[in-house]
Amino acid sequence: MNYVIAAFLGLFFGFSLNKAGLTKYNKIANQFRFTDMAVLKFMMTALVVAMIGLYGLRGLGLVTFPTVPATYIVGNLIGGLLFGVGMALTGY
Amino acid sequence: MNWLKNQISKEVWSPYVAGILLGIVGILAVVLSNSLLGASGAFENLAGLIGKAIAPLAFNNMYFNFVMPAGITWGVILLVGVFFGGMLGAATSKSLKWGKKDASNSDKQWKRIFGPQTWKRWVLGFFGAILLEYAAGIAGGCTSGLAISGGMLLVPAAFLFIAGMFASGILTALIIYRKRY
Repeated sequence: MNYVIAAFLGLFFGFSLNKAGLTKYNKIANQFRFTDMAVLKFMMTALVVAMIGLYGLRGLGLVTFPTVPATYIVGNLIGGLLFGVGMALTGY
Repeated sequence: MNWLKNQISKEVWSPYVAGILLGIVGILAVVLSNSLLGASGAFENLAGLIGKAIAPLAFNNMYFNFVMPAGITWGVILLVGVFFGGMLGAATSKSLKWGKKDASNSDKQWKRIFGPQTWKRWVLGFFGAILLEYAAGIAGGCTSGLAISGGMLLVPAAFLFIAGMFASGILTALIIYRKRY
């Protein structure tokens, strides 16, 4: 049952990525040149919507949060720095 | 109904609308199966699965047993869904290039910057993707698994990651594009 949910959610995940244009090289590359802000707009909208929804639901006692990604400052930062190089290079 | 059909067959939506859709998917993932969206972790699960089949000793370590357990996980199934969801999105706007002539490299901007050769894109994509996956392994997630899923739970790691990503991304774009930036 969990797998059915995963496949279904994945379908919508991929669909939204495609419709936002994030499956294209130029969208990702141009974000880093600040000539096309679609990536940031898309990411931040998703963040805000999910934040409001999740914290609201938790406030009502309807969900418990899963284990959150761990914070280890150096690792997160170095990972992010390397990731940015790959992202600007390939556009994925 | 017609309006909905028109919207679905559009090639590019407003990023705000697509973002709202992803936000809802993110909420549903937590509500329905208590999991977070992510992409890079699934590759590690799969790599662990293959590695354990080929070289069980080398892969019998903490990382592939506990941190990123090998096997078909929730994230792997999600990734399969993402693949077909992306195809579905392209198919609805008739921009699916499966089997078409310029399918493997059709991006005009890419050709202008790096040249028209397809093999160049494949090589760059291959090594760039290794770098991406390795970096995601260090940071503990990729754009979706850490920046979006972590960000929506207000995890500090997510914002550190985004800051790092943009700092080096801008620098890399500057180096590649130089005067064309």
